[in-house]
This record gives sequence, C-alpha cells and structure tokens, in this order.
Amino acid sequence: MINRRFLLLGTGALWGAPKVGASVLYGDRETALPDTRVENGDLWIPASELARINEFTVKPQGACREDVCIPLPKALKRNGRLNLSGFARQVRQSVVNEGSTWSFGEMPVLRAGFLESRTAPDFAVQNRQGKTVRLKDFRGRKILLLTWASW
Amino acid sequence: MAAAQDTGGEAVAGKWYDDAKATYTTLIDTGHAISSAYQLINVPAGIWIDEQGRVVRPPETAAPKNQELKLGGKVIRLQGDEYVAALKDWVSKGSKSEFAMSDDEYRRRMKGRSPEEGEAEASFKLAVSLHQKGQPELAQKWWLRAQKLNPESWNYHRQDWSFTSEAGKRWMDKFKKSTGDYYPPLVLKEK
Repeated sequence: MINRRFLLLGTGALWGAPKVGASVLYGDRETALPDTRVENGDLWIPASELARINEFTVKPQGACREDVCIPLPKALKRNGRLNLSGFARQVRQSVVNEGSTWSFGEMPVLRAGFLESRTAPDFAVQNRQGKTVRLKDFRGRKILLLTWASW
Repeated sequence: MAAAQDTGGEAVAGKWYDDAKATYTTLIDTGHAISSAYQLINVPAGIWIDEQGRVVRPPETAAPKNQELKLGGKVIRLQGDEYVAALKDWVSKGSKSEFAMSDDEYRRRMKGRSPEEGEAEASFKLAVSLHQKGQPELAQKWWLRAQKLNPESWNYHRQDWSFTSEAGKRWMDKFKKSTGDYYPPLVLKEK
C-alpha cells in the first residue's frame, strides 16, 4: 500500500511540466529535441537522445563514451528520462540557456586527451562549398591548422 | 588548413580566400568550433598536427613573416620568419625536427579552462546560435556575458564588436588599456 501510494505520488509529481522542444548546443553541434521537460530549472531529455547530443550512451553502469563511464545517480534518471543539466553539474560542465536553447560547455573529463595525451581534438566544420570537413579525414597527412578572421 | 573564425560566414570571410587564391582547405567556422576545441583566444593561431592526429605544437601565434605594427603607442610584434622556418623544418624532418615539442614541454604549456572560462565558452556558443536564429539582442546579452567571464579572449570581443559600427574604436580602447602582450612572444624552443 505504501509502495503504491509512493508510486502514484511519484508519477503525479513527475511531469507536471509540459512537453517542450529544446535545442541543445555541445561541441560543434546543435541538436533539436522535440520532447523535453523543464523542471526546477533543469532540462530533462529522453535518455535515448543523449548520444545525439554528446555521444554518451546511458548504460547500467552509467553514462559511457568510449573508455569513459560516469555513474548516474538515481536522482538524474526518471521514467526513461535523464536530467541533462544535472548530469552537466556532475561532470563540471557549464550550462547556460536562453529560453529553449541550452548551451553546454566542455567536459573536463574529456579534455585529458588534448591537454595531456596530445590528441588533436576532432571537429566538423563546413568548407566554403558547405561540405562538412572533419580533422580526422586528414589522418596520414601533416596538418598546419591555422585560424584567422575577417573582423 | 585555414579556418575563418567568423560568425558572419562566407559573406564576410569568402573574399579573403578569393584574394589569397587559396589552394588549401578553406573552412568557414561560423561557431568558432576550432577556437573552442583548441582554447584559442586570438587570431592568427597555428597548431601542428602529425599523421597520427597528435598535436606536435600546441596553439601559438602563426604569422607568415616578421611584422611590427605600431598602434596606440605600443608595438605588436609578429615573429613570422622564425615560425615559417620552423614549420618547414618539421615538414621535412617530422618527429626528428628540433621544433617537434617534447611531451614534458607540451604538458608544461597546456592548461585547462577555469570554470569561468568554461561558462564563457558555453555563453559564446549560445550567443552564436541566437545570432544565427535572427535574435541579435539576445545574442548580445550572451556575448557580453562571455566577454565578462573571459576578458582575455580577443576572439569573443572582436566577433561581437564586428556587428557594431565601433569595432575599431573598441579594439583600440581595450588594446591601450591591456597590459599583457597582444601576441605572446613566440618560443619555438625552450632555453
């Protein structure tokens, strides 16, 4: 009985927030999410959408990407959804939003490759013809990556 | 590979590539994704990357020739001659080049972002997205936030100022007040 009441209460309090669309910025990509909820200032997304945002996948042991797995406390998961901004705080990732556009900064845990192991961060940027160019497509060649600006 | 850090896109960056008759890969990085990934705060910046995708030299000021620019009672120095000579040395000798940085030196030079710099980064990206969605006032709010959190980034300031009529004046005002080097001296080899 107690369990049942708890469940009912839990479900009732769950998504009082309406379904809203959101746009999530991370790295060099912007991901449109049609089905999100905002509750107490946090962005809840379908857990299955995490990979589209940042290439992490929710597994029993946590959120994992290649050889990195970050444990997910129960409070960050509910009914197939993930508290994305709560996850950001857990991994010391900055998050800011303006209305339905949410911007997530770098994850320090993923920066050791660049800062210590000398792995050149990959990127996907368009060339003048609008074709996406990735750094990794140039593997096997020496690269001088040179930034400039017109301003 | 050249990458314009220009939210204005091809419309503002394209003609420079045309004038240069560029034969190399010409990128238009409207979101400053490369500056974000490599923690760049000014242009021009060069990064050397080897055949295995390893960073041979981390970001540093990259110029094609020596230049001295006298501005606002100060001098901006670009050590391009040395830079290009070192680059050619690496191209011919690879990892045997004396300019291929050691792991120790690399780690000494690299520093992760502070929490403020991290939030500045997220704020700048938000501004770019809002600008591209036709919301310049909201973009401005977040551009200012990025500049306040990371005032060292000339890229954040100058991209924002490029959408005003006062870019030159604002640059000069900040440049005159700044105490550090606009371009840090190029250190190709540690002494």
